[in-house]
Amino acid sequence: MANNFDKTLDECIDRINRGESLESCLADYPEYVGQLEPLLQAMLQTKEAYSFAPSASAKRVARQRFSTALERLEQRRREKQPLFTRVFARPLVWTTAAVVLLILAAGFFGMRPMLYPTGPVPNPEGNFVFLISDDVNAISDFESLNVSISKIGLLPGGDSERWVEFEPEVKQVDLTLVPGDETQEIWRGNVPEGQYTKVFIYVSDVEGILADGETNVKLPSGKLQIYKPFEVTGGEVTNFVYDVTVVKAGESGKYILKPQVDQSGADHKPSKGKAKDK
Amino acid sequence: MGAEAGNGKTETRRCNEARLASLYEEYYDKIARYVYVRIGTKTEAEDLAGEVFLKALESLKSYKERGIPMQAWLFRIAHNLVVDHLRKASKRKTVPIDTVQIESDANVVTLAEKNIELERVNRAMEQLTREQKEVLGLRFFGGLTSKEAGSILNKSDGAIREMQRAAIAKLRKLLVTDY
Repeated sequence: MANNFDKTLDECIDRINRGESLESCLADYPEYVGQLEPLLQAMLQTKEAYSFAPSASAKRVARQRFSTALERLEQRRREKQPLFTRVFARPLVWTTAAVVLLILAAGFFGMRPMLYPTGPVPNPEGNFVFLISDDVNAISDFESLNVSISKIGLLPGGDSERWVEFEPEVKQVDLTLVPGDETQEIWRGNVPEGQYTKVFIYVSDVEGILADGETNVKLPSGKLQIYKPFEVTGGEVTNFVYDVTVVKAGESGKYILKPQVDQSGADHKPSKGKAKDK
Repeated sequence: MGAEAGNGKTETRRCNEARLASLYEEYYDKIARYVYVRIGTKTEAEDLAGEVFLKALESLKSYKERGIPMQAWLFRIAHNLVVDHLRKASKRKTVPIDTVQIESDANVVTLAEKNIELERVNRAMEQLTREQKEVLGLRFFGGLTSKEAGSILNKSDGAIREMQRAAIAKLRKLLVTDY
């Protein structure tokens, strides 16, 4: 008998978890209403009391860490494969590589006015603008937060592992000055047209002063990379906004600088237009 | 992403990674609530919920769906992390501080009532045994079935059903008398 009741209670808990109402469960078991109702009410009361929503920023930080870990796994997987396997086991790669080589050769011999022996160079009439912005999280904790960027990299689409890299013209950005939709242009020039899939910035230094005006904070430096496909097209200027954010790391008192994939991305304007804010 | 001939294991691993990623949005919240019920601090519950997904990614190569879906496997990881956390916490003296965020003046009264109710339910939950809290955490907040909860806690479905009935009955009694 107790066993039957336990099974009935169990089934009602499953049904309520699936979104059914208490009343619909009780209606199906009139013989147990007296015992069931108070227990299921206690269940609902407990679920209601604990129905807190985790903070959006905590969830976002955790998601970013998870995405970064996923990307690293994929990167390691690719690095582990021997060159022989990578090349000879995939006929499609040969075809793609041949097409890419042909396009590059055509560009090399006639269609490109410039070569890039050391990477793209700045040009005020360029087809690509790189901007930095800051998604507001813990930035209000800071009076100033200076991020030094020593390198920018763009990964062309396809199977190319050859990054388009260049140094920013503006090498330091104070993130407190570019919150939300504000941006700071740090490079403008020409990059090869085509599809790109990933972007990185290399942060060489991060120093901040907290809002108390006294406390200096140092954040870890390093490469911040995002997977964000975009295209650089002819006759247009592509503005790419790379959004970073600073978040507090739990209760340790430390801060972390994180790229914000969702807030980053490219838009296009006709050539000879000014770079616009995000 | 380019296609890869890849061996079978790599493809299975990739599929599992994609499945895990697709569970993130829905299950982060559920896991955070489950952990919160067990450890009582929201910020630590949020941190641990993030750890669960990272741990799951590390352990994916050992994951095989043998009658336990990935969602339930996540709760097994959460359970283990909570056990670990509670063991470490018992060795050090900590004072958990949870800040109450007031979103607008209009919510102040509701928030205060909610906090009072939460404290009341918390007091009642504290008087359950560890196993009872585990069962209710998995059943109420994880949404797991008795069978899935049993596989995580190494108990039969029958034992889980019995425990949950006893736990809810005790909880009910405590809530009624604590008014």
